[in-house]
Amino acid sequence: MERFLELVIASVLLAGLYATMAYGLGLIYGVLRIVNLNHGGMIMAGAYAGWYLHSEFGIDPYLALLPVGTVAFLVGMGMYRLLVHRLPRGAAGGVQSLLLLFGVWLVMRNIAYLLFTGNDQTVHTTYATRAITLAGAQVSVNRLAVFGVALATLGILHILLTKTYFGKALRAVAQNPESCTLQGIRVDRIYALTFGLGTALASVAGLLGATLFPFNPSFGAAELLKSFVVVVLGGLGSVAGTAIAALILAAVEVFPTAIPGFPTYLTAALGFVLLVLVLVLRPGGLFGQRVLG
Amino acid sequence: MRTSRVCLLFFVVLMAACKKSGPAPADSAPSGGTAAPAAGDSAGAIRIGATLPLTGAESRIGGFYKEGYDLAFAEAAQNGGIEVGGKKMKVELTLLDDTSTQATAASLADRLINSDKVSFLLGTYATNLVEAQSVVAEQNGIPYVNGGGAATAIYKRGYKWVFGLLAPVELLAESIMKWVDTQQQAGKLPKPATIALLWENTSHGKDFRKGVTDFATKTKNYTVVVDESFELSGKDFSALLGKVKAANADLFLADAHLPDYITMQRQYVTAGLCHKIQSYGARGSEKQAAEALGKKNVEYVLSAVWWSSQLAGKNPEAKKFVELFKSKNGGRSPEWYQALGYETARALFTAISQAGSTDREAVRAKLASLKIPSLLPGGELSFPAEFGQQVHAPFVVQQNLPDGSAPVIAPPEVALGQGIAPNPGCAK
Repeated sequence: MERFLELVIASVLLAGLYATMAYGLGLIYGVLRIVNLNHGGMIMAGAYAGWYLHSEFGIDPYLALLPVGTVAFLVGMGMYRLLVHRLPRGAAGGVQSLLLLFGVWLVMRNIAYLLFTGNDQTVHTTYATRAITLAGAQVSVNRLAVFGVALATLGILHILLTKTYFGKALRAVAQNPESCTLQGIRVDRIYALTFGLGTALASVAGLLGATLFPFNPSFGAAELLKSFVVVVLGGLGSVAGTAIAALILAAVEVFPTAIPGFPTYLTAALGFVLLVLVLVLRPGGLFGQRVLG
Repeated sequence: MRTSRVCLLFFVVLMAACKKSGPAPADSAPSGGTAAPAAGDSAGAIRIGATLPLTGAESRIGGFYKEGYDLAFAEAAQNGGIEVGGKKMKVELTLLDDTSTQATAASLADRLINSDKVSFLLGTYATNLVEAQSVVAEQNGIPYVNGGGAATAIYKRGYKWVFGLLAPVELLAESIMKWVDTQQQAGKLPKPATIALLWENTSHGKDFRKGVTDFATKTKNYTVVVDESFELSGKDFSALLGKVKAANADLFLADAHLPDYITMQRQYVTAGLCHKIQSYGARGSEKQAAEALGKKNVEYVLSAVWWSSQLAGKNPEAKKFVELFKSKNGGRSPEWYQALGYETARALFTAISQAGSTDREAVRAKLASLKIPSLLPGGELSFPAEFGQQVHAPFVVQQNLPDGSAPVIAPPEVALGQGIAPNPGCAK
C-alpha cells in the first residue's frame, strides 16, 4: 500500500511538470492552429534566464517566474508581429510555420551555445534537496512547488478563458476568426496575445525545469516531445484535457516500474505508444477536439 | 486526419532537431589551435588527422581532449619533431569539429583520409562517436588510436587498425567492487551484501552492469537485489529510487553521466536514502556536482576514473605530464580527459618512431606490440590482442570526503588514503 501511494505521488508530481511544459504548446495550437516548434527554444531560454538571475543576482527561481514570464510574453508578442504574422493562416501555413519556428529554435539554441557553451548548468537553491513527509513518503519541496505552479496555471488559464473578455474573444477566434472580424474583434491582436502567452508559459516551464535538472542549450528538445504527446493525448486545444493527459502520461510512465521484470528504460517509450494508439483510434485526442474549454 | 499529418510533420522536423546538437556546420574549419596544411605542402612532416566534439553536447569534454592533443603536438614541435628512421620529422595535426554527432564524425574521418590525405588518425571522444568513426578507419586501413571510446563493443569486432586507450567500463565496475570487497573482508560491510544496481541503457551502462554482476557471481559474497536500467537524461527517477528504497540494499551502485548523476542524487537525497556504499561509476568527484547538490550531499560517494592528477606523486610519466600541463595552463590541474588525449597522441608518436617509417602497416604492427612506460594507472601502456587492442590499465578509485577532497583510495600501490566504509553519514 505504501509503495502504491509512493507511485501515486510520483505520478501526480510528474504530471505537474508535464502539464506546465505543455500548456503553452496547447494554447498556441488551439488558437493559431500552428505547432510552435520554438516551444523547446523558449523552454531552454527560460531555464537560462532563471539560472542567470539566480547565479548573478541571487534571485530565487520562483521569484523570477514573474519577470521571466513577462519578458517572454513580450518576446512572444514580438516574434508574432515580426515572423508568425506573415505566415498564411490555416492548413496552408502548416508547413511554413513548422519550418519557420524550427529555424528560430535552431538560432536560439546556437546563440545559447555561443553565450554559455555546451556545459551543463544547474540552479542550486537552499531547498533543492529539502523534502517533507506526505502519506509516509518523502516528497521533494521543489517538486511540490512545481506541482503548485502547474495547478495555479491551470486555474488562472481557466479563469482567463472563461471569465474575461480576452478569454471569450480568444475562444471565439479559435472557433471562427472570420466571424470575429465581423463582430469587431481584433483577431490579429488576439493571435499576438495568445502567442505571447504561450511563449511565456514555455519559459516558465523551462525555469521550473532548471530547478530540478541540469540543462544545456539542447534542453527543450525532449521536453517539447513530451509536451506534444500530452497536448495530442488531451486533445489539441483543450487546456483541462492537457492537465488530465499529463496525469495519464505520468501514470503510464511511473506505474510500470512496479511490475517485476519490466525493463524500466522502456517506460519513456510507453508515452509514445499511447500517442500512436490515440492518433489511430481517437485522432481528436482523449477528450475530443474541444476549443479551449 | 489533419492532426495526424501535423504530428507526422512535427516528428520529422523534431528528429532533425535532435540530431543537430551544435552550432558548427558539419564541414567545419580546422580548429584555431592547430595548423591545417594544404594537401601536399608538408614535405618532411607527418600529417595526422583527428576530430573532436568541439561544439554540441560533448563540447566541454571535446575541449579538454583538444588541450591534451595540443600539448602533445606542442611538445613534439618543441623537440624538433619526432624521430623517424634516424631523422626528425615534424608532426602536423588537422583537427576538425565533429559537432558531437555520429554521422559527422564518420564523414569527417572519411574526408581526413581521402581528401586531406592524412597518414594516421587520432580518435574523437564518446563511445558512440568512436564506434562510428572507427569503422571508417578500418575500411580505409589507417591506424586509428583513440582515447575516447571505452565500450568493449568497439573492440570486439575484430578490427586490426583500431586501438583504444580507455580501459573498459567493466574494469571500472570491478575496480570499485575490489575496494568494496576489501572493506567486506575487513568486516566493515555485511557478508553477504546486497546490491541495488541502476545502469543507463547504453553500452557504457551495460558494461558497468556486467562488471558488477560478474564480480558478484565470482565472489559469491554479493546479491544483486535491484537490477534496473534507465534512459539517458532522465527527468524522474523517483519511481526507480522507490524500488531501491523498498529493497533496502547495502550497496547502491549506479552508472550515470554527469547530468543524470546530479538529477538522480538530488532525488536520492530528497527521498531520504542512504547506503553503506554509494557510487555513480565514473561520476562523483566533479566540482560541478558538489556545487549543484551541496558538498554535504555528495560526501563518501565513490567513483572510479581512468586517471587522476594525484598519480603524479607515484608515477614519473604522470608527474611529467602534470608539470607540463600546469606550465602551459597557468597552474591549472589536468583532469583525466586531457591526460588521455595527451597519452593517445604520445602512443601514436612512439609507435611511428619505433616503426622507423610512416608506413601505415609498419606503424599498425608497432602499435599492436607497443609496451611503453605510461602515465596511466599501472604505469604501462599496451594494446593486448586478447582484448581487441583495448588498454586494460587499472582504474583509480576515489572517495569524496567532507573536506571537499577526493583522494585516490585504490589500487593500493597508488592510494593516498584508505577510504571510509560504511558511509558514516547514514548513522546521522
